[in-house]
Amino acid sequence: MSSWKMTGALVGALALSFAGWTLAQAEPKGAPASAVTQEQLNAAAKDENNFLHTNGNYDQTRYFPGKQINTSNVGKLHPAWIFQTEVKESMETTPIVVNGVMYVTTSFDHVYALNAKTGEEYWHYKHAMGPVTTYCCGPNNRGVAVYDDKVYLATLDAKLVALDAKTGSVVWQTEIADPTLGYSETMAPTAVDGKILIGTNGGEYGIRGFVKAYDAKTGKLVWTFDTSPENSVGVWATTDATGKDLHRDIAAEKAQLTKTGDPYKTVGGGVWQNPSIDLATKRIYFVVGNPSPDLDGSVRPGDNLYTESLVSVDLDTGKYVCHFQYIPHDLWDLDDTSPTVLVNAKDKDGNVVPAVIHGGKTGHVYVNSRKDCSLIRFSEPMVSQEGMYTLPTAEGARMLPGANGGVEWSPMAVNPELGLTYAVNLHQPMTYQVQSSPYPGGKLWLGGAFKVIATEASFGNVTAVDYNTGKIKWQVKTPLPMMGGPLTTAGGLMFTGEGDGWFRAYDAATGKVLWSFFAGAGVNAPPASYAIDGKQYIVVGAGGNTQIDFKRGNNIIAFTTD
Amino acid sequence: MEGPVLFYNGTEFEAMFHLPDPTSTKRAVLLVALLLMSGSAFAADPIEEKAKICTACHGETGVPQLKTTPVIWGQNEGYLFLQLRDLQSGARKNELMSPIAATLAKEDLLPLAGYFSKLKWPNLQQPEAPKDVAAKAQSAAASVGCPGCHLHHFQGDGSTARLAGQQREYLQKTMVDFRNRTRGNNPGMSDLMNATSSDDLTALAEYLAGLQIDQYLGSEHR
Repeated sequence: MSSWKMTGALVGALALSFAGWTLAQAEPKGAPASAVTQEQLNAAAKDENNFLHTNGNYDQTRYFPGKQINTSNVGKLHPAWIFQTEVKESMETTPIVVNGVMYVTTSFDHVYALNAKTGEEYWHYKHAMGPVTTYCCGPNNRGVAVYDDKVYLATLDAKLVALDAKTGSVVWQTEIADPTLGYSETMAPTAVDGKILIGTNGGEYGIRGFVKAYDAKTGKLVWTFDTSPENSVGVWATTDATGKDLHRDIAAEKAQLTKTGDPYKTVGGGVWQNPSIDLATKRIYFVVGNPSPDLDGSVRPGDNLYTESLVSVDLDTGKYVCHFQYIPHDLWDLDDTSPTVLVNAKDKDGNVVPAVIHGGKTGHVYVNSRKDCSLIRFSEPMVSQEGMYTLPTAEGARMLPGANGGVEWSPMAVNPELGLTYAVNLHQPMTYQVQSSPYPGGKLWLGGAFKVIATEASFGNVTAVDYNTGKIKWQVKTPLPMMGGPLTTAGGLMFTGEGDGWFRAYDAATGKVLWSFFAGAGVNAPPASYAIDGKQYIVVGAGGNTQIDFKRGNNIIAFTTD
Repeated sequence: MEGPVLFYNGTEFEAMFHLPDPTSTKRAVLLVALLLMSGSAFAADPIEEKAKICTACHGETGVPQLKTTPVIWGQNEGYLFLQLRDLQSGARKNELMSPIAATLAKEDLLPLAGYFSKLKWPNLQQPEAPKDVAAKAQSAAASVGCPGCHLHHFQGDGSTARLAGQQREYLQKTMVDFRNRTRGNNPGMSDLMNATSSDDLTALAEYLAGLQIDQYLGSEHR
């Protein structure tokens, strides 16, 4: 008799002994989850039934190939069902849909498996959170990864958890990093080639950032890429990627370097979002966030590599391939948090080449070569850059963009038929105030404060950029700063939500609003799409946002046309 | 005093678990199983014993003796743990707490934090702030992003302190201590308090003290 059978027999005997004493225990409702193959994940970009990756596919285009819902019938879109989670708090999840089963997450790391056709709950997992959670911007979670028979979640207490897709029970769990040192997780993992890839938060806490790969079956660490190399000094660049002067005092920095050495162990460099996977070259591409402390450069001399950079590493080994830094030695938290997207774009000579793009907090869309990470072009600014790179002062210096961007963590979407990328932006004037303090051992380490100027107007916009030219194709102003992100579809549509509760469909080519729905709470999560029994759905979370304090809710809303 | 019930007499035990017929062998099996499951149920909880020293200042019912002493009943576990750790290491200095923290065993810090976090936050009957004060406080909080960590209802989470319903005088003193870096174990908080005017700090203390919230409004995630 095997050990598990013995255990089962013992449990049965005890249960018999306890007859007459009833323990209330809910009957678990299993999900009819089917195993997800690597071939399915590879082909996600052409899958009209499922939404298998947080950003749609390995290129991260957030382009859904189904076109049953399109510009001619989107006006008839209406709720098919609404699921209310137990957690009424900031919602940034992208629903993942696999053969009729939907997985959504909430703040504080709950996971639900739902019937994607009806909204009925199959199972609900609540992460047993450790006592120490260190996060700057809300208890968010952006979703799960799916692979084989498991669902993967990364948590606020810096754990990576594998759940049984059918039952929601824990298969394995491992600690990614020590949360008392400022590490936490809000991003969705990425599943590829038997590995689970994960970055980290913590750029506000003096971490040393990383991307790690774990064995999907066992949870064993496969490789780690540290986002700050032991020589993080770089080339003492005095301008940003667009040629703007950063006003660095290189002599003072060099003197500090002599005095205190390379700051790579505490220089930050979180990776907030999923990498893009180039299946042909087996390279991954991601952007690295801000240096620590955010506003005080005096304690971190040098360019602070690879903060605020595009980085590519080998998928199998985690070895460095190339990088490109956008803002060396940043002092404004104008970092890169929106995920990268792989496209084929025209280079400077007009040749179409493999490219990687992302939206920055600066308000530019950057287009880089996948071959060597070099910059091909940057877009017109999507937001005001009034006084950009004004040095922070003790009293506070005003400038735009504010520290939330531009483009914050919100992913972009790409419509390859139109050659457009869609980005949502914030216009939030702030003052930047610098103060100096030593590394605080995992506590908040801003090096000052960025302060929203309450007397000035804040607003947002939705912008379509031609990534082959860098020109803005269309732009729609929104009443509130934008956070959440878009989805675009083969039906000629682009969907995105707003902090006041409106969820809208735009004509992807022109920016004309074709449909709107009021969700009652901030729609600050990226939408997804899928189809069941030949019927296409659009789904989005409406739970508001902690970071910019939009009205909270707890709704997952699926829409369809009948 | 609320908290875990540690001792049961036989009648209470039977009433709780509806024990079968006294002559039944199942009864004996069940009693043994329950005793095993209850672990140290018949011995005093050592952490509760160790926590008794705290009542001298923090109160027997969770209401502190002095206005400048914080409420710790119902405070977040991770926050309490890190404060004890920092008081012990010297990163945070307090003439009353530092010597007490020095006597604590390292392995007791997290259990102590867990013990107090599970007690019910007391209602100090502090008045709700007038609307103009609340508006000023909310604007100040939004400006430097307080809800990003302390959350929508200022109940904090994990390593971040609950502020809602905390003692007004303690809140005021703490914000000023952060401001002048007398409290040195969170320089990020010091930076944010330095970016906030004295008037705004006073409004924040009044507003936060008047937020009496009995349960977490967003979820039952704990």
